[in-house]
Amino acid sequence: MSPETLLTCIVFLPAVWAIPLLVFDKEAKEAMRYWGVLGTALTFLLTLQLWLQFDTKTSEIQFGFAHDWIASWNIYFRLGVDGISLPLIVLTGFVCLLSMLASWSIDKNVKGYLMLFLILETGMMGVFLSLDFFLFYVFWEVMLLPMYFLIGIWGGPRREYAAIKFFLYTLAGSVLMLIAMLMFYFNSGRSFDLIELAKIATGTGKVATFDQTMQVAAFIMLFIGFAIKLPSFPFHTWLPDAHVEAPTPISMILAGVLLKMGGYGIIRIAFPLCPYGAQYAAYFLVGLGVFSIIYGAFAAMAQTDFKRLVAYSSVSHMGYVLVGIAVWKIVDGKTINRDYWTMGLNAAMFQMLAHGISSTGMFFMVGVLYDRVHHRDINKFGGIAQVMPHYAGLAAVIFFAGLGLPGLCGFVGEVLSVLACWNFSPLLAIISASGVILTAGYILWTLQRVYLGPEYKGPHPEALVEANSRELAIGYTLVVTAILFGVLPNLLFSPMQGSIEALTQSLATAYETLYSAAPAVQAAQLP
Amino acid sequence: MPQTGDYLMFLLTTAWLLPLVGFVIEMYWLCWSHRLSKGAAYFAVGFIGAGFVCSLLALLIWGGATGWSALSGHHGADAGHHAAAHNDGDHAEHHADDHAVAGHATEHATPVKKYYAGTYYELARFGSLRLSLDWYIDSLTLVMFTMVTFIATCIHLFAIGYMHDELTEEYEDHEVHMHGGGHFSRPGRFYLFFAYLSLFCFSMLGLVLAGNIFQVFIFWELVGICSYLLIGFYIERNSASTAANKAFIMNRVGDFGFLIGLMIIWTSFGTFQFADTDSHDSPEAGLFTMIRGHDGRLDVSEDGKQVYLRDASGHRAEQNGQPRTITYLLLVAAGLGVFAGSIGKSAQFPLQTWLPDAMEGPTPVSALVHSATMVAAGVYLAGRFYPMFTPEVLLGIAYIGCITLFVAATIALVVTDIKRVLAYSTISQLGYMMLAIGVGGWGAGLFHLVTHAFFKSLMFLCSGSVIAGCHHVQDMSRMGGLRHKMKITAYTMLIGVMAIAGLAIPGTSIGFSGFYSKDAIVASALAYYELNNAHFLLFITPLVTAGITSFYMFRLWFLTFAGQPRDQHVYDHCHENPKIMTIPLIALAIFAAGCAWGGEGGPLFRLIADSELVPAVERVVSVGASKVTLPSHQGHDSDVHHVHATAGMLALISAFIGMGLAYLMYVQKSIRPSDIRRQFSSVYDFLLDKWRFDDLYEVMFVQPVHIVAAWCVSFDRKVLDAILHGSAKITVLVSGWDRKFDETMVDGLVNLVGTVTFSIGSSLKVIQTGRLRQYIMWIGVAVVVLFGALITAIPK
Repeated sequence: MSPETLLTCIVFLPAVWAIPLLVFDKEAKEAMRYWGVLGTALTFLLTLQLWLQFDTKTSEIQFGFAHDWIASWNIYFRLGVDGISLPLIVLTGFVCLLSMLASWSIDKNVKGYLMLFLILETGMMGVFLSLDFFLFYVFWEVMLLPMYFLIGIWGGPRREYAAIKFFLYTLAGSVLMLIAMLMFYFNSGRSFDLIELAKIATGTGKVATFDQTMQVAAFIMLFIGFAIKLPSFPFHTWLPDAHVEAPTPISMILAGVLLKMGGYGIIRIAFPLCPYGAQYAAYFLVGLGVFSIIYGAFAAMAQTDFKRLVAYSSVSHMGYVLVGIAVWKIVDGKTINRDYWTMGLNAAMFQMLAHGISSTGMFFMVGVLYDRVHHRDINKFGGIAQVMPHYAGLAAVIFFAGLGLPGLCGFVGEVLSVLACWNFSPLLAIISASGVILTAGYILWTLQRVYLGPEYKGPHPEALVEANSRELAIGYTLVVTAILFGVLPNLLFSPMQGSIEALTQSLATAYETLYSAAPAVQAAQLP
Repeated sequence: MPQTGDYLMFLLTTAWLLPLVGFVIEMYWLCWSHRLSKGAAYFAVGFIGAGFVCSLLALLIWGGATGWSALSGHHGADAGHHAAAHNDGDHAEHHADDHAVAGHATEHATPVKKYYAGTYYELARFGSLRLSLDWYIDSLTLVMFTMVTFIATCIHLFAIGYMHDELTEEYEDHEVHMHGGGHFSRPGRFYLFFAYLSLFCFSMLGLVLAGNIFQVFIFWELVGICSYLLIGFYIERNSASTAANKAFIMNRVGDFGFLIGLMIIWTSFGTFQFADTDSHDSPEAGLFTMIRGHDGRLDVSEDGKQVYLRDASGHRAEQNGQPRTITYLLLVAAGLGVFAGSIGKSAQFPLQTWLPDAMEGPTPVSALVHSATMVAAGVYLAGRFYPMFTPEVLLGIAYIGCITLFVAATIALVVTDIKRVLAYSTISQLGYMMLAIGVGGWGAGLFHLVTHAFFKSLMFLCSGSVIAGCHHVQDMSRMGGLRHKMKITAYTMLIGVMAIAGLAIPGTSIGFSGFYSKDAIVASALAYYELNNAHFLLFITPLVTAGITSFYMFRLWFLTFAGQPRDQHVYDHCHENPKIMTIPLIALAIFAAGCAWGGEGGPLFRLIADSELVPAVERVVSVGASKVTLPSHQGHDSDVHHVHATAGMLALISAFIGMGLAYLMYVQKSIRPSDIRRQFSSVYDFLLDKWRFDDLYEVMFVQPVHIVAAWCVSFDRKVLDAILHGSAKITVLVSGWDRKFDETMVDGLVNLVGTVTFSIGSSLKVIQTGRLRQYIMWIGVAVVVLFGALITAIPK
């Protein structure tokens, strides 16, 4: 398959796949579900094919192409892949397939649900694949609407509140992104090309580089837009509500893919387009990441709602992403020990992928229980391991992955981003490392209250039957993936390494150029 | 052509991975067999037993390659020993001659290669930074492998008998009471127990085999989670799962420090590897070479603030023309950080409280994980990482060990639960090992690690045998006189007790294993004290505690096995256990008594000492802030050798006093324990409350964490969400005004315009008369006015 067809198929196959759903009979739920699974499975296979064709040796954009879209405004339909987007694309395919398999519990208006689900997948794929800022923005918004309806229609009792909260938060972020996008557009001689914009930012483009004030302003707006998605403190309060109300498969996608767009946006857009702004805010970013780690862990510890707890654990885990991205140490305009920053960025990417597996898994595990007993109060569980031993075993592994146990995927991202942090700031590194204690605390305490103990204490004890083969299949897939990437992290590092190395290299150079051009306007360096 | 290193690597890797295979098989036991089958246990025993054979083979190959031999006795071994000492001496001399070319010494005399190292595979690579899974094999690795696999095999066998009651479809747990009254019952989990044990063996062996400190950390966490699973094996017991949580979380507190140590090492050295890598074109120095070079010395700058790093050849390493250095304080911090990990794992003060609670696990677990192997991993790490420790760090280690060994021993005096006495004694003995390492007695500490592993696992198994025989009674105050009923258990236990007390025949060098190792520790401590008079506690405490140890261990034996039965019911139903449980006891007893045979000239000590990377032939005077001098302890005129006889005698006297007191109090009853208890009731209560550490931590850490957690949640709800809701309300409010404005002002204006137009229209209606002449007149007027306006307005 030609690269162009491949990328286009990955993006649009799900949406196209949704159209035949219209002719299905309303009551043919089972058939529609299988149709949906087939669609997501095909998409996942296509992403795997992309990985196979991907050349890990080069750091350049691969399979890139552009078609005129709105030519008069220099807007192109421009897609392409590099080491940063590739793993996330595969992750999206993977998580969508698993959540589609987990969608059997949805019984209300299956047709509409599946159509929105597939459109959502198109939106997510588009975000990761597009290399045109405008296109990126369009896909970003495309993704927002189906999500709104998926939460607002198929959600829990407070679904409208949660859906609107989610929508408004994200929209606020989009608006800021839109402003920043237009700033770049008009300062770059009217270009939306992300690669070209990045080149301009590093001073190797066709026009003069963006000045420092503009970079700082644009960075702040972009960062807030992406930090909402990440989510980072203090923009995180939409997450617990959205998760609690969203149906299980949507929670899986939300945690597994949507949150990664924040991190991806920062790596793909905010940093390359405003190296000066990024460095200007680096200490603040790492500090915010560290604070999110600790804050999320504390907040998780105090939850009694199982899903809220997992949602807060996401806040905590995504803090490591922010830490890893921003550990860019600069003294006198020169990047110090760039390898550690490269390592941090790699770790951040890895943490996003690992969280995509562990968090998806955790939400799935909560969902399995919720489907049976229809409540999520941690204190009303207990003894699940006695009645559902097979399920409890898998759940324990997934939760251990969240706890950051070596040999499982969660460990690598967490520990490497923390290790990379000492070079940047020993103080912040120490604080972020203390997260390991809190994480162990809330996860083990949860395991104890839910799975251990002699007997189940809540309502509907008769409904607690061992997981069925579909659920076990999802569980095993997640567990095996978690172990695989925990034991052989290089599987994920090898495709992204080149691109990240090139990214840090070009950003370091860009900053040095800017610094030597106008060292007078230096921001005071924090300790 | 495969080299010795390849053989060793192959054998030990096999021994390491076999339990993992076993784990997978046993975990899914129900898929290919049934719950009542013992097959899982046979798999587990088979795999770990095969691991033991592999380790033993590796040991023999090692012996052949390095000239060490257990059987050919003193002669060959001494030669090897002397050769090693000689080489070290040469290094030292050479160093004295010529400061700059320390590495040159390698050409001077070809030393026996002391370790083999290599890489399994790469985990990640970032620029010049490389993370990998490595292996590092020296005699210490081999000793640990052989010891762990041997003890594990014995304990697996024992567990077949001990866990026998799990072989059922209906296991009734008398400790768990259900809501509706009655006991909890569940299907037995025999296979699962062995699966966890296998996973533990895999993790533990991986820890020992690890070739870099990061890998140690990986397996460090894995043994931690295995310990969690095994402590909480009875998942339905709340006490068990709480103890498991406590163990894991307290370990994580230590690991927090470990992680800080790792961060410093990673950032300052850029590598985690112990050994040099020579497989590349340009050899890269490992941590040990970087910090110690080839001569075993820290290369500290004149002002004592920087330490120069070395490259693979032993010269000072350079980077961009500048010598690579690490701040001395940072090196101290790194050492303390890594040691913090050891504190957690080895249950040292102040993180010791998890270990006694960990006795909730089945007794074989206590024997394997919580006495012989995992908790000793902390000591192993301190030993392995010894070259990276500065004298200040060692001093810290010594004091931590010193406090721990005393605190734990005092608590052991009053505890009556048989397993808990052993648990506190474990903590105390681990304290001894730490102390030994801290005072420079590297070999003594690790020597004690091995001897302790044998006698303590023996004693735990004996206590397990007692517990199984007495149908799960653990309280010693209900036992007594059991030696009549459980002969093998009682007398193997006695061997263990005498070994831990460090008894020997005075005047000869015939003694139990504990005698030799404790003797070595006390000698090191005494030598240290003679050189550093300020630190007299480091000598007095272990000496006194030797007596306390002997006292509480004999108290345990007397209370359990001697005298008259105190609970006739327990006594009547008590019985000796089947062979599968007693044979491991005998096997371990033989080693507990004799593994240290020959003392510091014996095969075991020589084998361990072979791995010492920092030669201790000379005194080491510290250059840091605090002045400490480490004693020399190799050769016949070393500091330690001089005081050896004195120290041994003092320790023995102390042990005999303790034993005598125990005899007087619990057998002859000439001193009544209850009188003493009454006399010192406040002290007694304090000890019974375990020095009140648990209460303190509850108040200091657990409660504040919950409070802060609640704050975070209410901050989210009351501040962040309130802001959001507030702004939403304001928006609604503003839009309400907007609506009002629209309805009254804008609409009013429009309506006004409409009304005015209408009224004007209707008032103009009167002009519309229908008379033609009038209209023409108006047109005429209008034309004139327009023209007038046109003319005036248009510029000429």
